[in-house]
Amino acid sequence: MSVEPRQSKPLASITKLVEVACSPERAFDLFTASFGDWWPLTTHSVYGDEAASVVMGAGIGAAIIETSRSGEQAQWGTVTGWQPGQLLEFSWHPGLPLEEATDVRVTFESSSRGTLVTLEHSGWERRRDADSQRAQYEAGWIPVLDRFVRQVN
Amino acid sequence: MPADSIEAALDALGDPTRLAIVMKLRERPLAVSAIAQDLPVSRPAVSSHLRVLTAAGLVTHRSLGTRNVYSLRPEGIAELRKWLDQLWGDALTAFAAHVERLEEQK
Repeated sequence: MSVEPRQSKPLASITKLVEVACSPERAFDLFTASFGDWWPLTTHSVYGDEAASVVMGAGIGAAIIETSRSGEQAQWGTVTGWQPGQLLEFSWHPGLPLEEATDVRVTFESSSRGTLVTLEHSGWERRRDADSQRAQYEAGWIPVLDRFVRQVN
Repeated sequence: MPADSIEAALDALGDPTRLAIVMKLRERPLAVSAIAQDLPVSRPAVSSHLRVLTAAGLVTHRSLGTRNVYSLRPEGIAELRKWLDQLWGDALTAFAAHVERLEEQK
């Protein structure tokens, strides 16, 4: 089991692949309904040591919500695409307002070993001016990274 | 980039004023006076924020006459991008491990 980075256009979206030994339907169910069981909450959360759980709701419009031990809640995103066994899409803005969200798209495809799961994180260009240059594109990662500051802290 | 450098970079960006400075430098390299313009903090405070950003490897500066001109450091930004890449790698690895555990129990 290993996660391979897929070669993509420079400065384009982040794409990650992993293969799991189960059907696409089951992989989709585990990814979504069991989100809180596998997400590495100890290292990646808004509340850090105080994080208690994270859940992903089912269906378009459902929220991804982290709850702290004291009951505070932080919404990480909203499900925007829901095709069980095939496709999951959600906005992604842990610790940040909705308008600064980027997009995550996860596809589930049948493979020789079971299911190929492909995750693509994109949408940084939303914050760029139309005439911006390459250097600015690189700096466009900053708002996204800022989100993770709250996760690390 | 070692883990503690990543943390320094992320900590540096966690401050709203420093993030605002980085956003300004996205446009073009700027002198301290230009950076301080429109920011609700004093110029010495801006200088101190610039020191933190420089130490974190996110910005760099060069002397132009009597002025210090600051710009983003592309290597620092690239390293952070790599780190973000790693985040999704970690998440998917954790997911695959979870599936494997469950499938073995069957």
